[in-house]
Amino acid sequence: MTPEALEALLHGSFAGIGAMVAVTLGILLLLLAEILPGAAKLKPVLFVATLVVAFLGELQLLGEPAGPVLGGSYIANQAAAAWGLVFLSATAVAWVFGRGYYTLEKPFQGEHDVLMLSSLLGMMLMSGAGDLITFFIGLELLSVPLYALCGFRRARNDSVEAGLKYFLLGAFGSALFLYGAALVYAGAGSVSLTTLSQVGASDSLSLIGLALIASALLFKAGVFPFHFWIPDVYQGAPTPVTTFMATGTKAAAFAFLLNMAFLLPPAAASSLAWIALLTIAIGNLGALVSRDLKRMLALSGVAHAGILLLAVVSYLKSGDVELAEESAIYYMAAYVFSAGGAFGLLALLESKGDEATTLDSIKGLGSRRPGIAAAMTVFMLSLGGIPATGGFLGKYFVFSSLVVKADMVGVALIAILLSVIALGYYLRVIIAMWMEAETEDAAQLSEPKRLGGAAAAVCVAMVLWLGVLPDFFLGLMR
Amino acid sequence: MTVPNEHLLFLAAILFAIGVCGFFVRRNSIMVLLSVELMLNAANLTFLAGSRMHSTAARPELSGPIFAIFVILVAAVEAGVGLALVIALFRRKQTVSLDQLNELGD
Repeated sequence: MTPEALEALLHGSFAGIGAMVAVTLGILLLLLAEILPGAAKLKPVLFVATLVVAFLGELQLLGEPAGPVLGGSYIANQAAAAWGLVFLSATAVAWVFGRGYYTLEKPFQGEHDVLMLSSLLGMMLMSGAGDLITFFIGLELLSVPLYALCGFRRARNDSVEAGLKYFLLGAFGSALFLYGAALVYAGAGSVSLTTLSQVGASDSLSLIGLALIASALLFKAGVFPFHFWIPDVYQGAPTPVTTFMATGTKAAAFAFLLNMAFLLPPAAASSLAWIALLTIAIGNLGALVSRDLKRMLALSGVAHAGILLLAVVSYLKSGDVELAEESAIYYMAAYVFSAGGAFGLLALLESKGDEATTLDSIKGLGSRRPGIAAAMTVFMLSLGGIPATGGFLGKYFVFSSLVVKADMVGVALIAILLSVIALGYYLRVIIAMWMEAETEDAAQLSEPKRLGGAAAAVCVAMVLWLGVLPDFFLGLMR
Repeated sequence: MTVPNEHLLFLAAILFAIGVCGFFVRRNSIMVLLSVELMLNAANLTFLAGSRMHSTAARPELSGPIFAIFVILVAAVEAGVGLALVIALFRRKQTVSLDQLNELGD
């Protein structure tokens, strides 16, 4: 390659990938701090600085999108930047709530943070991937650190079990994706999304390949019938990691699903709508019968993935990608702060690394820690979609695009009815906290740290802000 | 005499199917890992076959082989982390059988 060609390839690239460069530098510096004596104090500062710089980079990109960079392998458009902000918020929420969570593994907190940043980098790479190679690297960069993070508390059986289960099923999902990508390549002769959209991947090899790719993405997002691993893995993983997985991974999978949905044949819309409805039903019914709060929130996350899938359906049906992306990003932003906050509070309440996450253990929380209980109430209401919270507006945007643009009133109605089931278990948590008497389990809850309390307050503020003043966030995206 | 491209695609499909069956049938976590590797290599073979199908003498189509190189790299990374988790399981339970993964649940 001549210097001129290289110059042309890289031209304008760094504005587009600035945030990812910042995260990469942060990872390298954190690894360096790991081996330098006396740099231990610097590590949290480095982590926060990395997130702040990347956040500023994404905000800058949101204002002036750079378009395709690095020869079209990464598309730094507004949607990628907005998704990047969602991922960064998810990382920040999980990290802050995770401070002070580990006891036995405390010496390895630095490694934990490096793994988290690598995973974040993978998400950012996925959301803007312009070809299947970039997406695959992003997917693996997201998944492999998460396998390690799930098994991070290696002295505990449940954590190791969650890590190994997630690894085996995740590797299976990646292999499905790869074989799908290979079939698309064999059929259409390209792995670039732009070229594929021009040649139209509609021969039989490509169609099988696309179906495999879509299944792999639904697998990562935890959509029926690929949701069976979610409750076990979310329950067994350390709670800060669960917070990160529940919010970040789902967002990344849907970001790319929206990017590549134009390749799917139009007939896919109705079958995806059925899958979405089944996902909502199964997630909500499963959550209704589980006693463990982490499992309950995991299964409720399955239901939320179903609603996000409806945003993809509405895009397939109407062809309006901006509206679908806007509603999905808004939905996910609200989900990051409400589900992230709820999982985070569970992490705060676990005492000495032992889980106290059953419904019994939070009984009477309202009288002992009214602040924590109030925050949890707000998160539950937002997840349930009560007006004046971000969760309500997210659902509203998805359903309204489904009704107005895609003309699928029936699907929207069934989805709304199914979502009402969810209130059953969200309200049960609120009732347990405020109206039921304490049990012996409750005595084991730990004293929350001040930092965690502040993080909960920020999450509550964000949930309410997203719920009451959407114009600011919508203005950012337009 | 050259091998027709269809044969390559068929071979890859058979490899992939064997991998999928192995993934669901085997109870030993190392064998399950090997099954996944088989699936990855089926994808590699398909990439190379695809590259051969779409190449002309004037313009070779190289993204398939490049993808395959990335896949080999990622397979190594996955095996590294996966085997570490298998070792962690063995340390706790003195076995690598998946039947021992039964503690999570309601």
